[in-house]
Amino acid sequence: MDLSVISINFKFMIGGLALTFELALMTMVGGLLIGVILSIARLSPRPWLYYPATAYIHFFRGLPLILVIFWLYFLSPVITGRPIGAFPAAVISFIVFEAAYFAEIIRAGVQSVSHGQAMAAYSSGLTFYQTTRYVILPQALHNMVPALVNQAVIIFQDTSLAYVIGLREFLRRVNLVDAREARSVELYLFAGLVYFTICSAGSLAIHRLEKRRARSC
Amino acid sequence: MGLFNYTFDWSVLWRHPYGGLLVSGIFTTLHLSLLAWIIAVVLGVTIGIFRVLPFRLVRFAGSAYVQLFRNIPFLVQLFFWYFAAPLFLPKPAQEWLYDNVPNYSYWAGVISLGTYTASRVAEQFRSSLLSISQDQYRAAYSTGLTTLQTYRYVIAPYAFRIIIPPFTTEFLTCFKNSALTMTIGVMEITHTAYYIDSFTWHGLETTTAASLVYLCIALCVVLFMSLIEKRIHIPGMIAREQ
Amino acid sequence: MIKIKGVSLWYDKKFKALDNITETIQRGQTVVICGPSGSGKSSLLRCINGLERSQEGKIFVDGVSVQDPETDIHKLRSDIGMVFQHFELYPHMTAMQNITLAPIRVRHKSKREAEEKAMELLERVEIPEQAFKYPEELSGGQKQRVAIARAMAMEPKTMLFDESTSALDPEMIKEVLDVMINLAREGITMVVVTHEMGFAREVADEIIFMDEGRIIERGADHSFFDNPKSERTRQFLSRILI
Repeated sequence: MDLSVISINFKFMIGGLALTFELALMTMVGGLLIGVILSIARLSPRPWLYYPATAYIHFFRGLPLILVIFWLYFLSPVITGRPIGAFPAAVISFIVFEAAYFAEIIRAGVQSVSHGQAMAAYSSGLTFYQTTRYVILPQALHNMVPALVNQAVIIFQDTSLAYVIGLREFLRRVNLVDAREARSVELYLFAGLVYFTICSAGSLAIHRLEKRRARSC
Repeated sequence: MGLFNYTFDWSVLWRHPYGGLLVSGIFTTLHLSLLAWIIAVVLGVTIGIFRVLPFRLVRFAGSAYVQLFRNIPFLVQLFFWYFAAPLFLPKPAQEWLYDNVPNYSYWAGVISLGTYTASRVAEQFRSSLLSISQDQYRAAYSTGLTTLQTYRYVIAPYAFRIIIPPFTTEFLTCFKNSALTMTIGVMEITHTAYYIDSFTWHGLETTTAASLVYLCIALCVVLFMSLIEKRIHIPGMIAREQ
Repeated sequence: MIKIKGVSLWYDKKFKALDNITETIQRGQTVVICGPSGSGKSSLLRCINGLERSQEGKIFVDGVSVQDPETDIHKLRSDIGMVFQHFELYPHMTAMQNITLAPIRVRHKSKREAEEKAMELLERVEIPEQAFKYPEELSGGQKQRVAIARAMAMEPKTMLFDESTSALDPEMIKEVLDVMINLAREGITMVVVTHEMGFAREVADEIIFMDEGRIIERGADHSFFDNPKSERTRQFLSRILI
């Protein structure tokens, strides 16, 4: 076991984490925004909103992310006439993909608030907007938080897929070093350790949050 | 606009040799996923059981497995099995491997997908088991049933029904994750789509076809599962959200 | 004064919850509705303040039509107070905030004014010290009293109670019933769905028995309990009065 391969290339590999985090963050923000719009449409009684949103969600949840990335890679030159760069391709496909998952989390959160709450609010004369804003949303958000953080951890892991379009995030860099040095065991154990540490920290945070929530309920 | 510069050529989907490649890719996806799924269920249920047994060490082992496999991206695990794992074998075994198993990438794919999915199956199994209230056990014991009988006649049939929806989701996830094995060279459907593009420059058609394959299979699985659910349905059980 | 004329309500086009209900409730009266589960009592209550829409019939509250699309339903609802079986206090707000939300947002009262009124009401229901507690910190009886105060904060002319003591521990039922009895004696119009026949005997001006969506019998007080006219009423009463 030769650990020096890790220390020598450490800076190069960890540098990829910056890109990883950047990608993850942009995906979370973009995915949430679109997810909110989608879940509003999904909860709407109007068919022209409901059906497209439902179709979108089922479509993207039925495909592997890697395929979505390729789709974008092939589709965008056709539409824009130019090939698309690796980073934009990654960001756009991630956002579009994860939005479907965020939409379901949000929808579940909103539906987890008991119907009686809405009835109580309406019965005192509050309008739909007021009921949603003061009674339903605060509770829905509170209920959603563990699932949202969980999705954030998943997104963080999914960034490793940007590997396939050559994006030099963390995993690709590890892979490059391996191609040069052929010390796979040390390198992939190292990669595993890094991801494990970061994701465990995230999962621990969820666990704590859930414990706190359970106590206050 | 760019659209007019692109001429669609759908014949690439059935033209020789591409049609054959696509079909072969579909089959690869199917049997790779199924093999991995079998490993996942056997291993996952075992670990799920470990996590609820009354022995601390066993529970910890189960927990550790789940934590490890869930917090590392599947792609990393895949690379580990493909690049790193053979290096743990003694030299002669490695030689044998490289000489006699030409499609090692396929088997690395099966093993990593299986072990990864097993951790998810274990979690689902455990939470389904936990959702059965303690009172069910108490009711059974109070009529004189032994532990084994309780599990066999009371708990297992019920747990089996609760488990179907999350297991369906996990199978579909496993199925989707099989696409990632393309990174180590497995010629499953997604890789095939990409590969054909490198010869024909008609990647859009092939990825559309690949997407349709995934969606169709997802639809079939969901339909099949709801058929099963209907047949073993007990009135009053919670209907699945879809 | 509440006028209900020929109201019928279907759920999912199949289940008829209310069948041609006609009833008039005079101002200041206390009307108790009783009956088995599924008889439509709660549905009728919810039709009065428009939380449910009947497919047939008309309801007028103090001359305002509930069904008419031109009616300002929010204004109508703010003049009717409703108390629910499961309290439905907003868990993310203190008792004080629960009570003041509607007066501030609907009647545009200032925070100070609303809070003063809220404290008055909390004193009336005898729990002023709980003003800044969250619902999860309160007992069932306290929660329901806060819920009553919340409904009273809008100074409604009518109060609707939907099985407001059914979810309470036996020890707490009395404290809530006492509040309701006081309200009845103050002359507010009350429509109460309940199984508490003691309460009915004490303050009800009229008792209605419903079954399968229809009004089977009405009576003023003693005659209802002592000489029920219909067999079904007799059967029901014999089962609930020990």
